[in-house]
Amino acid sequence: MKANGMQSLYGWGMLSPFLALFSAFVVAPLGFGLGLGFFSWDMLGGTPAAWIGLGNYAEAAADPYFWKSLRVTMVFVLFTVPLMVGLATALAFLLDRAGRRQGIYRVALILPMMINLTVIGILWRWFLNQDFGLFNAWLGTVGIKVPWLGEPGWAMTAIVAMTLWWTVGGPSIILLAGLQQVPPQLHEAAAIDGAGPWRTFFYVTLPVLRPVLLFVVVTQVIASFQVFGQTLMVTRGGPALGTRVLVQYIYETAFTNYRMGYGAAMSWLLFLVIGAVAWAVFRLLRSE
Amino acid sequence: MSGTARVAVSGIALLSAFVLLGLFGSGWKGKPHSGVQELRWWNMFAGPDGGRTLGLVKKFNAANPDVRVSMQRMDAGLYYNKLFVAGLARRGPEIFVVHADVLPRFARANLLEDLGVLRDRDGWASGDFDSQVVNAVTFDGRMRAIPWDIHPVGLYYNAELFRRAGVVDETGRPQPPTNREEFLEAIRKINQLGEKGFAFTWLRTNLYTIMRQFGGRLFSEDGRRCTLDDPHNIEALQFCVDLIHRDHLVAGPQGGDPFAGFRQGHIGMVMEGIWMIADFGRAGLDLGVAPAPLLGTVPAVWMNSHCLALRPGLSPETREAAWRFIRFLSDEGLDWAGAGQIPARISLRRTSVFEAMAAQSVFATQIGHGVYPPRIPISFEFTGEFDLAVERALRGELDPATALREATVRVNLALDRDRKANHGFGKTP
Repeated sequence: MKANGMQSLYGWGMLSPFLALFSAFVVAPLGFGLGLGFFSWDMLGGTPAAWIGLGNYAEAAADPYFWKSLRVTMVFVLFTVPLMVGLATALAFLLDRAGRRQGIYRVALILPMMINLTVIGILWRWFLNQDFGLFNAWLGTVGIKVPWLGEPGWAMTAIVAMTLWWTVGGPSIILLAGLQQVPPQLHEAAAIDGAGPWRTFFYVTLPVLRPVLLFVVVTQVIASFQVFGQTLMVTRGGPALGTRVLVQYIYETAFTNYRMGYGAAMSWLLFLVIGAVAWAVFRLLRSE
Repeated sequence: MSGTARVAVSGIALLSAFVLLGLFGSGWKGKPHSGVQELRWWNMFAGPDGGRTLGLVKKFNAANPDVRVSMQRMDAGLYYNKLFVAGLARRGPEIFVVHADVLPRFARANLLEDLGVLRDRDGWASGDFDSQVVNAVTFDGRMRAIPWDIHPVGLYYNAELFRRAGVVDETGRPQPPTNREEFLEAIRKINQLGEKGFAFTWLRTNLYTIMRQFGGRLFSEDGRRCTLDDPHNIEALQFCVDLIHRDHLVAGPQGGDPFAGFRQGHIGMVMEGIWMIADFGRAGLDLGVAPAPLLGTVPAVWMNSHCLALRPGLSPETREAAWRFIRFLSDEGLDWAGAGQIPARISLRRTSVFEAMAAQSVFATQIGHGVYPPRIPISFEFTGEFDLAVERALRGELDPATALREATVRVNLALDRDRKANHGFGKTP
């Protein structure tokens, strides 16, 4: 009992630095933000914050910009997550079979993630220029000219493509690690039973890989809802708000227009949306 | 020593060498002696112009051993966030740069020292600023900042394309347009080459200039009501929409970097700020500059100023040292003009040194009819709505009248909300 007590104390002692930082930089700001959402506070105004109850939440419900940016975010999530997971899974399979060169390919996949987003944003903005960009110069050789940043649909396509290129390395490596945990005996048994590659994948590999896939999907959903840097750097939310995601709108509300209360309220709404979607995905994948 | 340890030690040594080199290069001189007044200067000159400001800091520090200024340059996108937050926490820098159109927010938050008192006391630069420039930095009758420069938009043109298209005078020299007819003619001729005669770049400055040239006003005189849907503004926006959708002379907004085509020599003209001189100059173009053509009936060009401001509540010693630095920067306005700016001081613009700056002196001819952005406390919300309205109209999503009317409604709602939240303090400061 005494030993257990000491062990418990030791455990809490080891945890305490993390808990202190977590409380100071995550829990406390979250609580502050929750409270702030009930106030009207122009940070640069001449008056202190004023209690308005659910006024900020009511404003969000009637704010067309809020719904527009939430819709844009949803579109990004709906395209990015399945493509990311599918591409990462395919790349993980290829890597798993790459033999000696696996190390080189792994580095090549991770390399874009090591480039600063600002640099990537500037580069892609040049690549995507409609008249003078690299992509249209290539496409021009077969007579195609795409208004990459001029039309909302194409701009979103460009943002999704850039995100995939930039970040697919991370989930690929995680899935590769998952694949390498699949016992080879299972594949051998499936082969003896006459299962082809597809049946082996769906009935042997995928079930074993499911916990890793679940982790990748949930983290990708959360990360995709929080998309911000890509749109800010490449499109600034344009054209005509066609790629202004919710985090960018929250940022502009709080840190450009200094409406801290309204920004905090929208952050909590986003938090609830992310929580609900992540929970639904978790339940769906776990139960299958 | 193992291989890994050798690599680690070499890495640390290399890193230390870089840090030391960086410190020497930045002019860092370690802890100051006692009695030396330390000042922090924040600005948004994170581009090549930052090298020029660093040179000015070094020059001041060398000439003023009792003061040491350290400069922090920040990305323009984040600069005001940091400055506002630091200012509100009373931990802001002693000296900072603010654009003239952002000053109303700073003034309302009491983040600006009254520099008029110091200026009057010293009788410094009296009568050396244009009246509209003084007005831009004056709130409640107090001069809250010292205008350092003026940066208007003007016309950049590709002289080679002009010559190829035959847009030349009788001696064969490129003839930049001065009015609407010449402007349209130049576009048509350059388009016939298979290039682009004109492209909209920064919609905000381009459209603000054209609207004001059409006689439009964006706010009522007292700044309490937005008048963006003024018929003159609608007419100006319609003119631009027609260039794109009816006459097919100009491409619509395409997003991305609108300057790329001009840099690559495929666009004949752009209406852009003086700060692009260095950038376009490096592109290897046969570059020409001219005043913005008069597309409407009233001469007008968008302009803004970098202003030098002091944090309020400084000790008398610190304030005097900071004021000395501001005066130094203002006096060195010609050096700063080399970065692609026009000195705000009239006396500096009349020097032979400035007149020898070919591009800057051309842009400076427009100061008399230069117009600052609206002087309102919700400047960021207004520009967001303005940008969106003109973009939607130029893209053909909405007709100009509807786009401007919708924006007007939203800006007026924001003005009302701002007044309510600030107990009537929403009027033009």
